[in-house]
Amino acid sequence: MDVSQYLEIFLDETNEHLQSLNTQILALEQDPENMDTINEIFRAAHSLKGMAGTMGYKRMQTLTHDMENVFSEVRNGNIKVNADMIDVLFQCLDALEEYNTTIRESSDEGTNDNSALIKRLNDIMNGGSAGGEAAPAAKAEASAAKAEEAPAAGGGFQSIKLNENQQSVLTEAIKGGKKVYGLTVKVQESCILKAARAFLVFKAIEETSEIIVSDPPSQDIEDEKFDLTFSLIIVSEAELGEILTAARGVSEIEDVSGNVLSLEDVSAGTVEEPSMAAETTEAVPAEAPVETPAAVENAPESAAAQPAAQSQAPAQANAPAAKKAPNKPVVNRTVRVDIEKLDTLMNLVSELIIAKNSLVSASAMSGNSSQAVNEQIEYLESVTTSLHESVMKVRMVPIESTVNKFPRMVRDLQKKLGKKMELYMSGEETELDRTVVDQIGDPLMHLLRNSADHGLESAEVRKQRGKPEVGSIFLDAYQDGNNVVIEVRDDGNGIDTNAVKNKGIERGVITPEQGEAMSEKEIIGLLFNAGFSTAKVVSDVSGRGVGLDVVKSMIESLSGEVEVKSKLGEGSTWTIRLPLTLAIIQALMVEIGEEKYAIALGSIQTIEDIPPEDVKLVQAKEVIQLRDLVIPLIRLNEILDVPSKKNPEDNLVVVVVKKGDKMAGLVVDELIGQQEIVIKSLGKYISKCKIISGATVLGDGEVALILDANALI
Amino acid sequence: MSDVNGVLDDLRPIGETTQFIVIRLGDEQYGIDIKYIDNIVRMTHITRVPKVDDYLKGVINLRGEVIPVMSIRIKMGLEPDVETKSSRIIILKLEQQGTIGVIVDEVKEVVTLENERIEKVAYDSKNEKSNFLCGVGKSDGGLISLLDLNAVVLENV
Repeated sequence: MDVSQYLEIFLDETNEHLQSLNTQILALEQDPENMDTINEIFRAAHSLKGMAGTMGYKRMQTLTHDMENVFSEVRNGNIKVNADMIDVLFQCLDALEEYNTTIRESSDEGTNDNSALIKRLNDIMNGGSAGGEAAPAAKAEASAAKAEEAPAAGGGFQSIKLNENQQSVLTEAIKGGKKVYGLTVKVQESCILKAARAFLVFKAIEETSEIIVSDPPSQDIEDEKFDLTFSLIIVSEAELGEILTAARGVSEIEDVSGNVLSLEDVSAGTVEEPSMAAETTEAVPAEAPVETPAAVENAPESAAAQPAAQSQAPAQANAPAAKKAPNKPVVNRTVRVDIEKLDTLMNLVSELIIAKNSLVSASAMSGNSSQAVNEQIEYLESVTTSLHESVMKVRMVPIESTVNKFPRMVRDLQKKLGKKMELYMSGEETELDRTVVDQIGDPLMHLLRNSADHGLESAEVRKQRGKPEVGSIFLDAYQDGNNVVIEVRDDGNGIDTNAVKNKGIERGVITPEQGEAMSEKEIIGLLFNAGFSTAKVVSDVSGRGVGLDVVKSMIESLSGEVEVKSKLGEGSTWTIRLPLTLAIIQALMVEIGEEKYAIALGSIQTIEDIPPEDVKLVQAKEVIQLRDLVIPLIRLNEILDVPSKKNPEDNLVVVVVKKGDKMAGLVVDELIGQQEIVIKSLGKYISKCKIISGATVLGDGEVALILDANALI
Repeated sequence: MSDVNGVLDDLRPIGETTQFIVIRLGDEQYGIDIKYIDNIVRMTHITRVPKVDDYLKGVINLRGEVIPVMSIRIKMGLEPDVETKSSRIIILKLEQQGTIGVIVDEVKEVVTLENERIEKVAYDSKNEKSNFLCGVGKSDGGLISLLDLNAVVLENV
């Protein structure tokens, strides 16, 4: 990978991070206890380190790494911020600034190791860990490991830190005649799945050896939290060459180097990792400081228990190492991707599904499809389906980001309306397509305000009615099959259908006669009419007559639906039902005349075969009776102006669709079958046709229109 | 004007020029500004969309995209299109309406016209066709009526 094209970005971002570090460290000086500032600093230092590492600026990386360590200790409360430390940190920033300038001028970081600064950073760390004795055992151990690591850090190579257990295991192994090797594995820069390669290396090495420790810890390696290299210390009876060959056998591994570690290396506590050049050298790197902690002497006692645990899988074997480094940054590896890029990806997946459908229909057409072709098509089908699902998942975000502003809003409403209320939310982790989540906020806000304003009674009234003074509003989200349901529920007054009816008559929305004939359900439906508000006093919370109609149209524009259930005196429930995905659906393909149409499977209840004599007339409209339900018939050929090719005496093929609790039977000529279809918009140029919700491209390249069952009913 | 043009023909002065694709509708030639043209495709199966104005012929699949197709002939009050071998669908990319296909009888050539050889046409209430023109260009092959695409594509109210 050529990183030079990223140089500009690197320099810009480094400047930004340095700027932010400067500001934050200044702030830290004023307020040394502020965790937010410390976290911010830590993040900036961490990003700097990562960026420098990616660009191959090792010196810069080492310096930032040590700075990060200091911040990490501060964050864990092991070191207190003091004036001396702030001074050192500012000097580090200056040094980084210098690197940056050098890089800008020569695209090389120069040769200044800043070892004095690094030493001072490590002194700070040592001072900190000495004071951390009172900390829990695990922490103390980590600090000890840190302290041991410290002196070696100046060399420019990262070293593997050993804790007492690991030291004792290694000591035992050497004493038992086994060989201890230090390995450094370098992954090719172009490698995409570094963690997978690392895993293969682990596997190859494990065939002959036992991995004692890795740097970074195995968990981090699994999570791809490493740059291009990682180091291992292994115990083996095999020759070094054999192990190296095995590890190099993994593809996309640039190089593996290793050397034999002697007893002194191990007992020194830190093992200098072998440099690439010093491949298979038996010699101990000269810089490795010999420091013999007491650990080796009292090692044997704990060693007995250790080997048993070590023989586990590498992840487990290295688990102690991972746990004992609590100061390692735990940063989620995420990538920010432009939503447009995701849309492009989504479109490509759609294209793939169309192509797959073409293949299916082509193979069916040719008639002589062999077993092998069918198997491959089925395989392709499962791959495209999983690919589609993964892309959808990538686009899914929890609704949390939208709903977490509501508690605050309800708190404000409480003040404004002078009512007592509490918001209970559940299912914030429910995921929806990104575009839906962005747009669902407003309708939900309207519904919550509506519940707070119209739904809940004042505290006095609630008391009189024997309800708890504090009203409750619930916001529940959950997934239900291919839908996500969001419910806004309150234990307030419920909807007074009489008041709604009277208001409707008063506003001229309905005539008094109509009002008499209307069911409760229909009356509640009036609420969604534009310009309808029953609030006696117009408040700035709700009651301007905009709101519910907006809610409805917004949700319908997301292909969702909204329903209300209410009981006077007990409260109401608003249910929003949204499809998980907007782009690809399962649909039933039908034929009417010579034309093909798709009906979303989600809205279909049943498919019936009805003899023509079973069609009855009610108020001059055709209906059929189905299990005690009277269902109106819609002859699609009439609505769509297509001549039907069916004989009137033949049985009718009726697709029964449902919208809320309304049903209708769509009469089609023929059923073609179920198919996964990609919804394409007809564009705003053809927007007049309400009964068509979109179009899709069929396997043979033809366009079929998607019927909107909701609009037909 | 015409004698001036005779002189200018060979000189090709460095002025603003516009390129037009010359299409045929019935016996008449029309020019479409090339900057609006995305693509020219052969006639393919057009899927009818119910309940829309009759000049909207339906939608086609253009490499996976669903594109509406309209008939200029019907829009301009001419005889309905007769599909022949030379019929084409010109895919236009317009700022407001997005991508739209229009059916033409034939695509003839590309001409480059200097802007001074494009004349505005006066609005003629008797001639319905003039509503859809934004000018007349003079080329070697004769006069070309230049289509005002916004007027052609504009929805009937």
